Amino acid sequence: MINTPLIRFADVSKVYHLESGDFTALDHISLDIQDNEFIAIMGPSGSGKSTMMNQLGILDVPTSGELFISGRDVAKITALERTHMRRDTIGYIFQNFYLIPLLSAYENVEYPLILKHKKRDESGKATAMLKAVGFDEALSAHRPTQLSGGQQQRVAIARALVNDPKILLCDEPTGNLDRKTGFQIMDILCGLHSEGKTVIIVTHDPKIAEYADRTITLEDGRIAA
Amino acid sequence: MKDIFFDLSVRSVRLNLMRSILASIGIVIGVVAISSMGMLGTNMQLQVKDQLSAGADTIVITADAVRMGPTGSSSSSSSSATGITKTQLNKIKLAAGLTSKLVPVYSTTTQFTLASTPGRSTVYGLNPDDITKFLTISNGTNIGGINDALVGATFATNFDLKIGNRIRIGQDTDTSRPVLRIVGILAARGMSSDNVNTDNAIIVSDDWYTNQYGGKDVYKQVNVIVKDINTIPDVKTAIDTKLNTDQKKPAVRISDASSRLSGITSSLSAITTFILAIGGISLLVAATSIFNVMMMSVNERIQEIGILLSIGTEKGEVRRMFLYEAVILGILGAGIGGISSLIIGYSVVSYMIGTTKYFFLPESIMYIPMGMAIGLMVCILSGLYPAWKASNMDPIDALRSE
Repeated sequence: MINTPLIRFADVSKVYHLESGDFTALDHISLDIQDNEFIAIMGPSGSGKSTMMNQLGILDVPTSGELFISGRDVAKITALERTHMRRDTIGYIFQNFYLIPLLSAYENVEYPLILKHKKRDESGKATAMLKAVGFDEALSAHRPTQLSGGQQQRVAIARALVNDPKILLCDEPTGNLDRKTGFQIMDILCGLHSEGKTVIIVTHDPKIAEYADRTITLEDGRIAA
Repeated sequence: MKDIFFDLSVRSVRLNLMRSILASIGIVIGVVAISSMGMLGTNMQLQVKDQLSAGADTIVITADAVRMGPTGSSSSSSSSATGITKTQLNKIKLAAGLTSKLVPVYSTTTQFTLASTPGRSTVYGLNPDDITKFLTISNGTNIGGINDALVGATFATNFDLKIGNRIRIGQDTDTSRPVLRIVGILAARGMSSDNVNTDNAIIVSDDWYTNQYGGKDVYKQVNVIVKDINTIPDVKTAIDTKLNTDQKKPAVRISDASSRLSGITSSLSAITTFILAIGGISLLVAATSIFNVMMMSVNERIQEIGILLSIGTEKGEVRRMFLYEAVILGILGAGIGGISSLIIGYSVVSYMIGTTKYFFLPESIMYIPMGMAIGLMVCILSGLYPAWKASNMDPIDALRSE
């Protein structure tokens, strides 16, 4: 089929069953995202941004409707297959960086490669990735707690990219960084977009959203604009 | 190839080193308890077996316990009439055949005074010619005169006795308190299988014994020492046919080392099992502390588990990481426990049994690897649930936790 979208939300709803009653976090969302788009998702707190990111990150499946990522219906594949898609198709960049504290910067970047190939990396890919985000060998040996916020986010980007995923999911990637460092990180993401990655970024900051080709605004679980 | 999950486990243990060591100490104690107790029991059994088999060529004949002496004869004599009579002795002699050696034994317990120190011990009355048939005099000579006596090795050591020392027999209140002269000291026998335990006893001549205590020709027991150990069942049957004519009311009881041995070893192995079970309880306590530490480790690392799961780590890999941690604690505990068991077990056996000659025999030393294996297994079992819990977390909830 020509022009199959990379990601397709087809009437997707997500309902949480709480003690206080059902809470609809995503309300009949239909949305196509094409390969190599740069999308910003905006909206106030509780609008469903995080729920949407969890769906895109295959950490959760829709209550109703269908979500296709790379042509696969994520609700119809096994848990192990979802795990492998998270590892191979998606690169996750978090606001809090979420590096593995017990591993060095190098090992954090090497980690997804180990998950994929079930052995330590000998290709030099992890080193190359770190070099691309400005890390030399000495700095790569540091543990996350020994790095600044900007440095940690660079490591997180290198980690997200090392398995060459199609989609980069960025959840407030500049939220914990000062303005200058934030823009440096955005420059890196723009570069990756121009190299062919599909970048989806959740942000509160309209300045950050300006980098995107398309902005999707959520309100009460629906697409407002 | 180094496994990153193993690295993560090692680092987690190192990060919480004190806590991990404390949890491992539980395993160390458990392993030491199981192996030391097991070794102690086994060494005890081996030693008793060894000592009892030293008298394996001896059949012991005693009067059946329920049989009473002839009525009316017990009024004047101080000794009971219960025993093997002269007639029975002659029948035993016939049944046992010419190649066997017969040792009739008188025995009782008595009080004595040694240089104003009072004491109590067994007195054996033996024909001096019989003494050398089964006892070894390590120092001095055999009984020659009527007032000569031999003493056991432990007895001599305890009272610091030398050849020529004298023992006064009987209580202070007794009218007749004869004095014996020590002419020889016997070699240590340990716990012997022929019911003649001389280590803590005084041995006198049969004549002196019957003069003192009466009861001539009524022996406490008769030992038959056979020439060929394989003839024991035949000799036993022959004696049984000759003496126990009424099978419903047997006159004598006939036993040999093997029947006594099986009784003693079975009770000793019951004791060993019991003390092993006590060691097992300490491992159970250790299991709870390992479980606790593992649960703490899981709960402290919820967010890390969330990261691992969200970037594509398989559940099995997360499980493996936590099981490695349990294995590391186990290897640490079992390793230190094994080494400690060797040292502590050796000291305990040497102190309690008095000899370590059986310590390195396979049936004894095997308790160390066995204890280590059990310790390691306990650790892995304790780690199963925490590992399962970690791997089944919801990554979204786990990421959100602080």
